[in-house]
Amino acid sequence: MPEDLHKNICEQSLFEAFFKQHSKNLHDFLYYKFGERLNPQDKMQEAFIKLWENCKKVTPSKAKSYVYTIANNLMLNEVAHQKVVLKHQKIKPQEHSNESPEFLMEENQYRKKLENAIANLTEAERVAFLMNRTEGKRFKEIAQILDISTKAVEKRIYGALKKLRKDIEEI
Amino acid sequence: MEKEYLIKKWLDNSLTPEELDAFKALEDYEVLTKLSNYTKGFKAPEYNEDEALKTVLHQIETKKQSKTNWLQPVLKIAAILVLCFGAYYYTTTLDTTFTTDFSEKISVELPDHSKVDLNALSSITFNKSDWKNNRNVSLKGEAFFDVEKGSTFNVNTSNGIVTVLGTEFNVKQRDNFFEVTCYEGLVQVTYKNNKTIIKPGESFLVLNDLVINNQTVYSQPQWLTNTSAFKSLPLKEVIAELERQYKIKVETKNINTDLLFTGRFTHNNLDTALKSITQPLQLTYTKTNQTIILERE
Repeated sequence: MPEDLHKNICEQSLFEAFFKQHSKNLHDFLYYKFGERLNPQDKMQEAFIKLWENCKKVTPSKAKSYVYTIANNLMLNEVAHQKVVLKHQKIKPQEHSNESPEFLMEENQYRKKLENAIANLTEAERVAFLMNRTEGKRFKEIAQILDISTKAVEKRIYGALKKLRKDIEEI
Repeated sequence: MEKEYLIKKWLDNSLTPEELDAFKALEDYEVLTKLSNYTKGFKAPEYNEDEALKTVLHQIETKKQSKTNWLQPVLKIAAILVLCFGAYYYTTTLDTTFTTDFSEKISVELPDHSKVDLNALSSITFNKSDWKNNRNVSLKGEAFFDVEKGSTFNVNTSNGIVTVLGTEFNVKQRDNFFEVTCYEGLVQVTYKNNKTIIKPGESFLVLNDLVINNQTVYSQPQWLTNTSAFKSLPLKEVIAELERQYKIKVETKNINTDLLFTGRFTHNNLDTALKSITQPLQLTYTKTNQTIILERE
């Protein structure tokens, strides 16, 4: 690990650079883990504000895990063991399809099943899986973000995949 | 190649071309890709990073400001305290005033234990906090002073200033009447830039702008023992004092109030007092409510 160039992150330009580097991942992490309802955007911002307030006590190398921990705790304080239901979004604009109504109905059903299946994953599995499939991140990247080993990431994602298949294909 | 191995590599986007072919050949291939594609629809909502940064920086700024705002209420409190202390200090350095009403006499002790007796309808003013440096008293009306030995003691009246070091003396200042009588020690009277020193038993009198030097046989002013004494003084002075002692109005009919009167009257009985004044001058009096009318016999 390279030595910290600066003792802390109290300088505005350093802080901004750090923000740009990590804010999206943190936001997405919170979203995947906790859902939209508990306002991941807010919690992410709060975590960065707290980092600034305590900037003298946090070295840059610890800063990332600091904001993740703070944000996670902020979320936990609010969460009430609710099931996280992520709404499926249509990413592509609606193509005029030649598909039959039956096909469309089938599609909706599938989506619904997938939604529920994802909600049934553990937080750890869900976050890792979604970061991998929707964000397109590779194992190593996810491992860095979550501060775990690549092997652990692999285990979570593969485990998530198996569960999802079981849930969907069983029915 | 093992199915699990291929799937894992596919997940990590690290299939070699060879491995990719093998993956596509898996029977699970379609199920997996369908699942993967649909999962892409669960992407976290887009968010504007720059906006978010702006918000964060703004929040930090406002928190900084509210931290310095603790200073504002503290300053306000400090200002109020300063005002309170200022006001308190101010009020403790204000003058003290004693006033007597009609037929009222009081005794006042000054900060250095000098004593002042005030006759009716008079007032004295002095400053307690400044007394050590300046023994200054302002007088309106009549008072008898018993001054402790010490620094210069001044009695300021509208007619003149009386200065002593430690004595007993009487100052009477009324309309057109200014009299200082010394009973003990030495008294200096400053009147119109002229300084006169009087000794015990002597008095300095200004009557209608005329300076008269007089004598007294008494050892203290008579009014202290509830009697007013006059020696060859105009009747109107006698009447004025009578009014002060009894809170009455006296009117005269066809009488020359410049007539000189020598005598005394008591403060304890109006009728007796009136007789003391009217008889020697062959006058009569009649009473109606609070008014007395004097006329020739």
